[in-house]
Amino acid sequence: MNKHDFILISIIFIISVIFFGVTFIVKNDNANVAYVYYENKLIKIIDLSNDELKEYTIKGYNGDVIIETKRNQIRVKEETSPLNLCSKQGWVTSSLETIVCLPNKVIIKIGSSKEEIDAVVR
Amino acid sequence: MKKVLTLILFTLLLSGCNNQIYSKNLFYMDTYINVKIYTNDKKIANEALDKIDQLYNDYDKLADRFKTHEGIINIKDINNYDMNQEIKIDNRLYELLEYSKLQFLKTNGLFNIALGNVIDVWEEYRKGNKKGIPTKEELLNKGSINIEDLHLLGNDIIIKKGNISLDLGAIAKGYVTELAGDYLDSIGLEKYIITAGTSSVKVGKHYANDKYKIGLTDPLNTNNLYMKIKGNNISVTTSGSYERYYEYEGVKYHHIIDPNTLFPSDYALSVTVITDDAALGEILSTTLFLMPTSEGLEYISKFNNVEAIWYEKDGNIVMSHGMNKYE
Repeated sequence: MNKHDFILISIIFIISVIFFGVTFIVKNDNANVAYVYYENKLIKIIDLSNDELKEYTIKGYNGDVIIETKRNQIRVKEETSPLNLCSKQGWVTSSLETIVCLPNKVIIKIGSSKEEIDAVVR
Repeated sequence: MKKVLTLILFTLLLSGCNNQIYSKNLFYMDTYINVKIYTNDKKIANEALDKIDQLYNDYDKLADRFKTHEGIINIKDINNYDMNQEIKIDNRLYELLEYSKLQFLKTNGLFNIALGNVIDVWEEYRKGNKKGIPTKEELLNKGSINIEDLHLLGNDIIIKKGNISLDLGAIAKGYVTELAGDYLDSIGLEKYIITAGTSSVKVGKHYANDKYKIGLTDPLNTNNLYMKIKGNNISVTTSGSYERYYEYEGVKYHHIIDPNTLFPSDYALSVTVITDDAALGEILSTTLFLMPTSEGLEYISKFNNVEAIWYEKDGNIVMSHGMNKYE
């Protein structure tokens, strides 16, 4: 092994440490956020680390979808839809429960919990 | 030596960035479907996602029993047709009807796509248009639920001999999910997760040579998982009584109707089926939901590669004998 090999290995080592660090930080950051999708587009990331009640308005397919959040919790407060299943679902606290507002094509997911799960069925 | 070392390190570096995720959300069949493909071929992945989108779209229209669609004859059209009239339908719909009729026989009549008339009556009560619960007469008088009234004459021609109303709600989604999985396997995109609504998931090979972990929701506390299933190339489907129901005089009436009583079944809180076929998974989870646990255990022992988990009313969990291979 000559000097160049050593440099190459060092560079790769440093790069992988950085990559690992970044993924680690990103993963941990996910704990307290909610992702809001309209159809296939991620349209909003909401921070759930605040204690006070906050309100957000999203444009859904049928009209406005009003989302409310408090610490680690999110719910749909109001929406224009025939059955209002979304607002009836109430507060969601875990990444295992997804809020799906079908008529409005809006999906709300809480950032992944520490436990790694690929899918949930209910 | 230097070249070899560089090559090895470079390969290691590259293998780290393998397998991007390509994903698409679809809204069909009254639910949302998410398809995730793991590959490093962007072009093929996006083409496949579009193809699967089209696949669900096509069957969504064919199986629609509430709306007609221009240019095709679908379930709504068939239900509207007069009796004793020959109807030429799309080959894909014909094959789906043929498959469903076969499953009726295999499940001793528990899986029945001709329950539309009874389902419509219950729907009126669940929506609150009518108060209380229907009487047996009311359920019987709406129309035939005899699948034998549907005759499949070959060459995509069908004929109705009674006033049946077809409803593919319990099969269409699983059937298309299976087609989608087969398609992905056939073009070499074997690493995928298809989440078809909240109650069903189909996974292919794992993206990192591990096993997929699928959580089962606790029916009594939906913020919790009561079990984790680990496996590849499997479909996991749950039938539960706690998702769609209404309450009357303290009793919950859910949406899975027993063809023998015409009332919602009253056995376990949820039944989950694990098998390699999403269509079969959908059929068996419904079928097992309409049986006592002991009968269900007996029933699936005849199948290769089918396992099930019952979450009973008292919180008791029963597993079929081969479940340990997914732990």
